[in-house]
Amino acid sequence: MPVARSGNVVLAVVCVATWGTAPAQSDDPLAVGRKMLAEDNPGELWIEQGKTLFHQKRGPKNASLEQCNFGLGPGKLDGATAQLPRYFPDTDRVQDLESRLVTCMVQLQGFNRDDIVKRAISPAGSNGSDVEALALYITSRSNGMKMNVSLSHQKEYDMYKAGEYLFYRRSGQTDFACVQCHGEANKRIRLQDLVHMTDKKGMQEVVSTWPAYRGGHFVVRTMQWRLYDCFWQMRLPELKYASDASIALITYLHYQGNGVVIKVPGFKR
Amino acid sequence: MRKAGLRWVVAGVPALIAVGCATFPDPATTRQIAEKMVSEDFTAPTPALLKRLEQDRSQRICSRIGDAKLTQEEAAEVVRLARASIQYPASGKLVGDWKAGNTLAHDGAGDRLQGGRLEKRKENGGLCQNCHALAPGEINVGNVGPSLTGYGLQRGNSEAIAKLTYERIYNAWAYFPCSNMPRLGATRHLTPEQIAHLVAFLIDPASPVNKR
Amino acid sequence: MAESMKIRATLQGDVADVRILMLHPMETGQRKDAKGEIVPLHFIQSVVVTLNGKTVLETQWSQAVSRNPFLGLRIKGAKAGDKIGVTWVDNKGDKRTDEAVVAPAS
Repeated sequence: MPVARSGNVVLAVVCVATWGTAPAQSDDPLAVGRKMLAEDNPGELWIEQGKTLFHQKRGPKNASLEQCNFGLGPGKLDGATAQLPRYFPDTDRVQDLESRLVTCMVQLQGFNRDDIVKRAISPAGSNGSDVEALALYITSRSNGMKMNVSLSHQKEYDMYKAGEYLFYRRSGQTDFACVQCHGEANKRIRLQDLVHMTDKKGMQEVVSTWPAYRGGHFVVRTMQWRLYDCFWQMRLPELKYASDASIALITYLHYQGNGVVIKVPGFKR
Repeated sequence: MRKAGLRWVVAGVPALIAVGCATFPDPATTRQIAEKMVSEDFTAPTPALLKRLEQDRSQRICSRIGDAKLTQEEAAEVVRLARASIQYPASGKLVGDWKAGNTLAHDGAGDRLQGGRLEKRKENGGLCQNCHALAPGEINVGNVGPSLTGYGLQRGNSEAIAKLTYERIYNAWAYFPCSNMPRLGATRHLTPEQIAHLVAFLIDPASPVNKR
Repeated sequence: MAESMKIRATLQGDVADVRILMLHPMETGQRKDAKGEIVPLHFIQSVVVTLNGKTVLETQWSQAVSRNPFLGLRIKGAKAGDKIGVTWVDNKGDKRTDEAVVAPAS
């Protein structure tokens, strides 16, 4: 009996040893690759561009964006993205970063809103748009800070709840709402991992990594683009840039992701 | 000092009032606010395509916030509506050509709206590979839905299985009310003939799905 | 073109870990644009890295290198404060030089 028992033990040890040593390197080579890409992210090249654009006198009014108020006072950028979206008395609206950028580009610089919206999302493989570079630069000024969206104005409460409603609203021939793809852990479409957004950690990953370098597009992409692209895949009509629907969703996302440390640019496939 | 205190109180009172009044809107108000956004904040090449955002009764029931549960009545209604929606191919043949189904199952394109245009191809892709594992050994497959590898091996290819499979693809909600799976036939994303090809792809012993 | 590069150089012992991000379309000459016309060949042909003015790496690239390329290298015998210079030249004759200073080990 003791012999048989020790024989079993030896077998067990062998099995365990083999299992433990099977993968010589990391057992998640994709993670290794992603880490490399995250450490040397081409998106960073657009931060300088955004900074230049921010201070440059541009548009029919030949003015810079230095007086743009993102909620902390004119020109105050440190921590600005971290508290967006929020209510703005001058426009009587809840606005996210990109819609506020559009407001300033129109009011301070005299650009035409439709022109901005038309070029905001740049073609893949291009040099990127001014909006993309600016959104990245301004958000980079919140790097290292925690997402800190607060709800106090009634419109902020309204936007949050509307965003939640939209997150779960199923429609179209796919019967999809956001939750169909983003409601469970460890899910993926083909080889693209899906963030688990009914989970705090998942939401935090989402809200802390946009704007991001989209590898396959070779440009920086923003949250407005990300939402638009989801609706495209869902076979639904096109989401209007910086619309209330988009801001409602972003309000819901950012508030749910509160507490996460912002780190942009993110790196997406 | 007292003056400063008074000023603080005066400033604080409106702030307190503002904070006190602001609250989460109730579900009916939320719905009103959000549906207004849905009606105003999207574009499509034609009004007909804009209608994709309209919800049918089942979608309304199945849009539940958080982990709100379906009631028995709601589930029964969704199943009833789903069953009633099922249409079969005109030929009566529920099992088509698995080779055509193979192509369809791996096709994730078709019918999307971008830049004011509709992506119209010969036919809409089945989208299956996006969410389901199919033939064994394929790496580039999703896992949002259960694996379909060996589907026919496990169930056989009887008429009953063909009918069940056809119906589950045509309208998954007839079996699983509010399932994450699109009601591909009922929403007209796929035609009955296309679904018959997918049925063959799943149950035909010669199909790659059933390769040992 | 010729947008500025991003160069990071950190000392690890006596080895400088240098990481360079470049902005360049790196067109293969095989891609077709929206009109169906070939986008012409446009790629970085050579990259030279110097340490305090002395060449430590000479490379010749082809159009196989991807857009917005990344180059990483480790230079032995470097010290904190050393100057790293990177110059690229492309097939159109465009060139770009940027510099960075080796940072001490963190």
